[in-house]
Amino acid sequence: MHIRSLFYFLGEAFKNIARNGWMSVASVGVVSITLLILGSFVVLSFNVDLATHDLKEQVQIVLYINERAGEDTRAELHAKLVAHPGLAEVRYVSRADAMARLKEKLGDRSNLLEGYEEPEDNPLRDSYELRTAIPEEIPAVAKEIKSYPGAAEVDYGSGVVEPLFQFTGLVRWIGLAFMAGLAVTTVFLIAHTIRLTVYLRRKEIMIMKYVGATDWFIRWPFLFEGLILGMIGAVIPVFIIFYGYQEAALWMQNNIYFVSLLPPEKIIEVIARILIPLGVALGIIGSTISVRRFLKV
Amino acid sequence: MIEIHHLYKQFENDAYVLEDINLMIDRGEFVFIVGSSGAGKSTLLRLLLREILPTRGMIKVFGRDLARLRKREVPYLRRNIGMVFQDFRLLEDRNVFENVAFSLRVIGVSTREINKRVPLALELVGLKGKALRNPGELSGGEQQRVCVARAVVNRPAVVLADEPTGNLDPDTSMEIMKLFQDINIRGTTVVVATHAKELVDHFQKRVVVLGKNRVVSDRERGVYLHAH
Ligand SMILES: Nc1ncnc2c1ncn2[C@@H]1O[C@H](COP(=O)(O)OP(=O)(O)OP(=O)(O)O)[C@@H](O)[C@H]1O
Ligand SMILES: [Mg+2]
Repeated sequence: MHIRSLFYFLGEAFKNIARNGWMSVASVGVVSITLLILGSFVVLSFNVDLATHDLKEQVQIVLYINERAGEDTRAELHAKLVAHPGLAEVRYVSRADAMARLKEKLGDRSNLLEGYEEPEDNPLRDSYELRTAIPEEIPAVAKEIKSYPGAAEVDYGSGVVEPLFQFTGLVRWIGLAFMAGLAVTTVFLIAHTIRLTVYLRRKEIMIMKYVGATDWFIRWPFLFEGLILGMIGAVIPVFIIFYGYQEAALWMQNNIYFVSLLPPEKIIEVIARILIPLGVALGIIGSTISVRRFLKV
Repeated sequence: MIEIHHLYKQFENDAYVLEDINLMIDRGEFVFIVGSSGAGKSTLLRLLLREILPTRGMIKVFGRDLARLRKREVPYLRRNIGMVFQDFRLLEDRNVFENVAFSLRVIGVSTREINKRVPLALELVGLKGKALRNPGELSGGEQQRVCVARAVVNRPAVVLADEPTGNLDPDTSMEIMKLFQDINIRGTTVVVATHAKELVDHFQKRVVVLGKNRVVSDRERGVYLHAH
């Protein structure tokens, strides 16, 4: 594309936006609202992730080995655990290790363990401590490995983990469904705005065809119009989120000391990187639909 | 320059609008195309612009078979054909200069080149002093001059006009027709579809008569002739 043409297309696109007045404002508004919701959601989920990160990290599966399992069974169990694709970490903890750990944990009160320390008296069992690559997979993996040979019992803090994951999962799905609906609305509104432009400019389009403008020359201003509407619609929520988040973070710092939040500078970058391409994409999709359906070139 | 052999045109499954048209137009000619309403004059011009495709037969412009022209080549064909309409089709929201410049701008001509060529075209059509007027402030004849300036500003080899004087009074019509003659004298091929009997008779140019969808007469220095 020639640089002169680029300026021409941009100029025409801005003229069209100004001409369409309220339709342009409505399009930008809907893009902004969609992306504001998406952006807030992203900010929230980042911070929730940060807060629940430790919690999730702590969640592990403990597999107790059947005391009557022989050497062969134990070897087979070990091999199967190590080969499991969902497990990121497999650590064997012997009963002696477990006892030592318990002792350390009790510290001053380790005298409570007196009489249990000798191997033949040790009531603890040999076990594996396992971590999954994806925390949400814990319940499924736990269920699967329970049937492995030599496994006596599997424990992963069920009852705490499932509701937590269910809740975060539910929030995510509702958010996604809501956003998909808004995205469709956005595309529709932009398409409609561009359609209006095509209608208002039908005479110019006709003359352009007669004097030999190429199809792409005719299309570009409309595509740029969609792109600009989408971009403006994305920049607005980026600023709203940045300033809103700054205020919120400040307030939290002064009032709820123990909550750790991601710094605003970090958030803005992430948000801008998500929202601006998305806004541009929504705008281009909307205008492409209109150009294809209504611009008969 | 324009070659038409056994051309047929039919819209959907209606009757033929054009039947077995044969026509050759050489570089530099001035041709009137006359015929009663519905004879197919406008259809013939639209075929030459490749707005529509022939049903059968061959139509060649500048040696290119229009039926075989690829879609993306069409704009380049049209850059070499100037088109003038009965209803002017000017853009009301910009002045005369910008209306003429528009046809250059949208094919990517530089502003510097535009500033050189548009005044020349306006001078040619006698509107030198009215560049900054809006079309709404001009008389019908002046508006048609703007339309002619727009058609010739890219120096096309051919100018096609579809009833260019249909909305004008006889004196103004005569002036516009003289303008086409001037353009023709400078070397541009001119094809004018018209009903204006007096003008056709006055100019003594080649006249192609379309009647009952066929060429019924084609003579040099002809006169307007009814097909019946
Ligand atoms: N797009 C179309 N679809 C169907 N029929 C058409 C179409 N365009 C033209 N026709 C028909 O073709 C015939 C010729 O029309 P055309 O406009 O070429 O005539 P014309 O000679 O220019 O007439 P006029 O002098 O009134 O302008 C008419 O009967 C018209 O109804
Ligand atoms: Mg006609």
